[in-house]
Amino acid sequence: MSGEQTGQDEPQTGQLERVTDIGGGIDSGGVDSGRVGGIGNGTNRLLFTTLLREEWRLHTRLFGGWRFASFPLLIVLLAAAATVALLETGTAPSTIVLGLHALALGFGLYSGTAGFAGSNMLENVFGRLSLVLSSASTLPLSRRRLLGMFLVKDALFYAVVFVLPMATAAIPIGGLSATTPTELVAFWLSLSLVFAAGMTATVALIAVRTRGVPTWTIALALVSAAAGTWALDGPAAIESVRTLVVPLSGSLSAAGGLAIGTVLVAAASLALYDPTYGRPTRTASDRFSQLRAAGDRLPFADDPLVVKTLLDLSRSAGGVWKPFVSAGILLALVAALVGVVREITGIEPAPGIFFGGVLGLAAFTTYNWLTQFDSLEFYLTYPVAIDDVFRAKRAAFVLVGTPAVAVPYLAAVIRFDATLVDAAVGAILLAGYGLYYYGLTVSIAGFDPNEFLFDSVRFGTFTVGVAVAIVPTLVAGFVVVPPTPALAAALAVAGIGFGALGIVLSGRAGPKWAERYRDE
Amino acid sequence: MGILRVDELRKSYGAVRAVDGMSFDVERGELFGFLGPNGAGKTTTIRSLTGQIVPDGGTISVLGTDPTTAPLETRRRVGILPEQASPPSFLTPREYLEFVGDVRELDEAAVTAGIEHWAERLGFASKLETLHTDLSRGQQQKVMIAQAFIHEPDVVLIDEPLANLDPLVQEQVKQFLTAYAADDNAIFVSTHNIDVAADICTRVGIVADGRIVTERSLVDETGDSLLETFLEHVDDANARDMPALERTEIEA
Repeated sequence: MSGEQTGQDEPQTGQLERVTDIGGGIDSGGVDSGRVGGIGNGTNRLLFTTLLREEWRLHTRLFGGWRFASFPLLIVLLAAAATVALLETGTAPSTIVLGLHALALGFGLYSGTAGFAGSNMLENVFGRLSLVLSSASTLPLSRRRLLGMFLVKDALFYAVVFVLPMATAAIPIGGLSATTPTELVAFWLSLSLVFAAGMTATVALIAVRTRGVPTWTIALALVSAAAGTWALDGPAAIESVRTLVVPLSGSLSAAGGLAIGTVLVAAASLALYDPTYGRPTRTASDRFSQLRAAGDRLPFADDPLVVKTLLDLSRSAGGVWKPFVSAGILLALVAALVGVVREITGIEPAPGIFFGGVLGLAAFTTYNWLTQFDSLEFYLTYPVAIDDVFRAKRAAFVLVGTPAVAVPYLAAVIRFDATLVDAAVGAILLAGYGLYYYGLTVSIAGFDPNEFLFDSVRFGTFTVGVAVAIVPTLVAGFVVVPPTPALAAALAVAGIGFGALGIVLSGRAGPKWAERYRDE
Repeated sequence: MGILRVDELRKSYGAVRAVDGMSFDVERGELFGFLGPNGAGKTTTIRSLTGQIVPDGGTISVLGTDPTTAPLETRRRVGILPEQASPPSFLTPREYLEFVGDVRELDEAAVTAGIEHWAERLGFASKLETLHTDLSRGQQQKVMIAQAFIHEPDVVLIDEPLANLDPLVQEQVKQFLTAYAADDNAIFVSTHNIDVAADICTRVGIVADGRIVTERSLVDETGDSLLETFLEHVDDANARDMPALERTEIEA
């Protein structure tokens, strides 16, 4: 705009203005420029490649180029090494195949939330971001369309970056031969299909939620599904789960049915999704002062940082039940796996040791929920030491994490008839390993446990740290049933030792991360 | 000697010198404007002043404390309003201000009274029990202003104080800041908004390329407008990534 165009009546001299012609200006038509009759396939391609490029840059920027680029190689190594180790210890190949499909399904369920998480949550996870996904507010692109493209991009991106490396486990399972490439591709397609089905399931649930279906109804459906899996017994039921979760093991028509069903549900979910959905304004009575006033009776309530963490958890979507649901899903997956292993091999692990060792992994998801809606930067403007923030997170972790894993653990030892010694050792392992996994997570990832994903160095360190504790424990749990007194004592000592190590690791995390933040 | 003193402050991020020899003093009673274009080093300076980051060199003194070596002591004594900061999504304004009072170890009764006072003054009394996630950006900014002042600090550091506020509240906040500084306190306002600085500041330091290029008192001064001064010092080789300027004569 020039001075002559301002239309001002009085002559002015010496007025300054900026010349805003930067780089030749912006095409007034935006991404739809030159297209008649709305947005065409060209825009879809442009959108897709832009989203894909954004995804790549997001990860390489967050983790550093080589740390992300080498992540698929790390998955190849882990998948191959774990498969070889499991085969060597007598695990049936079909069990390994099922386990990998269960992992792909779980990752798909998790990934489905990404496009819907909202900018606030993404900012908490990744820092201040502006994503192409948000451009529905500034460009003539519908949010539903953007979400559809976003999810297709996510499915393809992760199918290549994460699922394809997982599929290389097919090589040690089938052995090298002329048919290896075909087997590899078939395994990859099978895993990708389950991954996409998991994503679609989450998307469908979120879409239903935007139509006003109460959260408790959705939670009830999830719990019912978990309970159904849990209650599965007998070869027929196990076989039906395998057919559904492992397309590779069923007929081509069953796999095709799953693929078509996934596409149909995904399309229906996007059609059902209401982009205008918004929660009604929420008010709350003053819980902060109520909890602080109870500080002499409740051990945690004398710390405002703990109280804030608990309020963040309880008032965010899903409430205080989120860690319970995460632990419940882990329990259902592991229980189904145990059932399948029993059907295939006739072997059943010592339930206390097995479930105690595995359920400790819920420490990661519990800590994730406790930091999901918080950031360390927030505390840097108050007279609060970073060390105290981490100490408060640990207190909250113990408060929330203990019941979240104790309930499923008790259910498991009752359901699988653990002996008293086995159950007691398992409880020690659960507590000790939980603290250890927590300490490991905090030490490696600080306040951003989600950043584990796709950082090959952090993920590799975490995996090795977990394997050191869990692999010998699970082997012992499978081999010596019921546990001998000597084995029980050794595992109890291991549980206590790892627990102590976890406390040390989490105790050192505060100073470590405080220094890192201030020296950025 | 000022109650806020910076001498030869330096901070780099890799090869980029965000702050490069920054020096200034702020006295009691002053509302000091830290005026500069985007990327001039304003936010890095504020983060150094509040001990959020460790500078590469130079010295800082805030109310006699050194935020580099004793960040908690500095933060205990000052109020801070970071740029684009939001209050915690799942607390209400009342709970958040109670939290702030708690970590600042304030008297409970004083906090309760302070909450009512600030909510009334800034116009969010009816929103005290609403979760922040359901408040507008403007309402959230009001809460953030309240948290910076609730302990009545001698020094307050503010990054873009009027962001997201409606004109009426902007005017109230401007008047309040002026009065607060005049009451033997000091307010350090970082902004790229020349009109805001001209309206409320008693003195400004104009920042470009990580250092103060000129300072100017705005008390009882006539002559060039602040805009002229700003452009004179910023619109030259010192300013990075600034579009060119041209002087235009407008005729009727």
